[in-house]
Amino acid sequence: MKRILLLTLASLAATALHAQDKVPLKLDLPKPLFVGTPRPISLPNLEPATAKRADLMVPAGTKLLSKGKPVTSSDPLPVIGELSFITDGEKSGVDGTYVELGPGVQWVQVDLGASAKIAAVALWHFHAQERVYHDTIIQISDDKDFKKGVVTIYNNDHDNSAKIAKGSDLAYRETYQGRVFDGKGTVGRYVRCYSNGNTSDELNHYTELEVFGAAK
Amino acid sequence: MRPWLLLVPVVAAAFWLRTHDLAARPMHADEANQAVKTGELLEHGRYAFDPRDHHGPVLYYAALPIAWVRGQRTLASLDETTLRLVPAIAGTASVALLFWLALSLGVWPALTAAALLAVSPPAVYYSRYFVQETLLVAFTLGLLACARQWWHTTDRRWVIAAGLCAGLMQSSKASTPLFLSAAVVAALAAPGFVAQLSRRSHLTRDLALAIGAALVTAALFYSSFGTHPAGLIDAIATYRLTAERLGAGATGHEKPWPYYLQLFGVQRWGGFSVAQSIFPLLIGAGALVALSLRRPVVRWILVYTGLIVLLLSSSAYKTPWHAIHFVPPFALLIAVGVHAACAKSRVAITITAVLTLASLGTLLYQTRFVAFLRPADSRNPFAYVHSAADVKKYRALAGAALARHPDRPIRVISEESWPLPWYFRGLEKNTGYWSTPPADCDGALVIASEHQSAAVRDRLRDRYEESILGLRPGFIMVVFMRVTAP
Repeated sequence: MKRILLLTLASLAATALHAQDKVPLKLDLPKPLFVGTPRPISLPNLEPATAKRADLMVPAGTKLLSKGKPVTSSDPLPVIGELSFITDGEKSGVDGTYVELGPGVQWVQVDLGASAKIAAVALWHFHAQERVYHDTIIQISDDKDFKKGVVTIYNNDHDNSAKIAKGSDLAYRETYQGRVFDGKGTVGRYVRCYSNGNTSDELNHYTELEVFGAAK
Repeated sequence: MRPWLLLVPVVAAAFWLRTHDLAARPMHADEANQAVKTGELLEHGRYAFDPRDHHGPVLYYAALPIAWVRGQRTLASLDETTLRLVPAIAGTASVALLFWLALSLGVWPALTAAALLAVSPPAVYYSRYFVQETLLVAFTLGLLACARQWWHTTDRRWVIAAGLCAGLMQSSKASTPLFLSAAVVAALAAPGFVAQLSRRSHLTRDLALAIGAALVTAALFYSSFGTHPAGLIDAIATYRLTAERLGAGATGHEKPWPYYLQLFGVQRWGGFSVAQSIFPLLIGAGALVALSLRRPVVRWILVYTGLIVLLLSSSAYKTPWHAIHFVPPFALLIAVGVHAACAKSRVAITITAVLTLASLGTLLYQTRFVAFLRPADSRNPFAYVHSAADVKKYRALAGAALARHPDRPIRVISEESWPLPWYFRGLEKNTGYWSTPPADCDGALVIASEHQSAAVRDRLRDRYEESILGLRPGFIMVVFMRVTAP
């Protein structure tokens, strides 16, 4: 009995210690680009529009790993913008700060240079207009071809129209706040983001992708 | 070599640009609305001119022979290609008509004008667009070419043909008097025109023939070929109704006066560039040359172009499809420049040829971008409040929903629903449209605007899967697909 009590206390202490290690993920947010009265909506499959999103708690010491890191894509020669825009830290969303990939299912992939323990991924598709991107899927892997060891941390492709995997995550509206995905400490060197057009057009836009974590 | 042989490749290129992959672009709300009216005419033979919200009848009637040839007899069987072939054919005919009209400047200037119209971004874009504007341009050019033939030959068949074109213009759009006035004023400004006119024999008879042909043609169309006489009164009432609408306040289409001219300049949005840099340069050069010449046809072109720019730009109400009315006069002005260069020296001819070819190249490049690569992009200056690519996905959802629940309706509950009625054609018995949520919102498929989706959800009793689709840029729809019974 005494042993069980001691084990329980030790477990609680470890949990408390672990919780103390967690800190809110601080993002450098751009200014809002589209104005207008937000419509009060509450959709089971569309995240509610809130003035300020709840902070994601990440381990203390979490760093931005993706700044300036090389980006590859399913559309290697975008008509508008350059792939390097995706990790250049410029997320204002104004003309000349985003890359536009062709229609249909497209992906971008950042190479962190080395395997890392990923705490969070923050993504800004395009926030100059109210829109929702279809089939947003975020994956992490140590394989640059994403053929093995792939972990999906987010997938809102409810009907598997991107033909990668069916997902049940809620779609979300693009805003200047971007969208932060919990990396859950997944280990990997590459982070890949899929999309399949959006509610305004069939194109795929990426303003910024930030990967936070710690070297393994 | 006969001049028309030179025209063959130009017309062939114009036809290809106007007809290639016509169904690819999603239907614009205006196109869809007119497509459904065409389907009603095709399937039931019913058409009544609506003076309040619609333009003239020619567009709908012109689609019928194409539908018949393609074996389409109902709204459900009608498709985008059939509908868009109407403006595509009119747009191609415009190229040949402009060549014919400009022949008095010489073969090469006429060919230049035709080639510029053939590849012009707005001309190509709106020749692939099921609205009246391209028809109006084609009939205007037909009228001008026939009137010119009459002027030179005094053959009354040409004046009747000109009257027929005027009637078709009026039956396309009520703005026809504006173009007729510009053409007449420009003619009066041409040196020697009034003196020659007063010396013409049978002038009164010829004018009466032209006006008669125009009135009979317009009367036939507006009365739905005698089946709807009230359409004749409505054809006149439309001016009062338009004036009332414009006088009532902002329509949402108000734009500054240089808007149309800016469409022919350099425009950039987020790396998306539509730049016709050499084309305006050539227009300016052509205008300067025209100012220095006293030839009647040159003066007519100069004044007509100026009046079209002035009249269309002075109205606060502006939509980009009106830009195509600028293209033929601009091309004629450039043809004047080519005409002058041909009479000068080899150096002038070479410089003009190089600039013209460069202009054709840049125009073609931009046409590829606006008409083929990004035809529905909100940054495309000609894609005006265009439907999102998502609109093509609704029909498959409706089919799947009705396959599962054939006894239940499809409900569209939204402040705005076009072009969905087009995509749900053939499902009219199963589909209903509400601007606010009805008491019973349940159905096989329920499509609600984002704004109304919360109220709709509160009234749904069955189980649904939800997804998000766009209608237009910035206008999001929530799709409720019924899963099981309650």
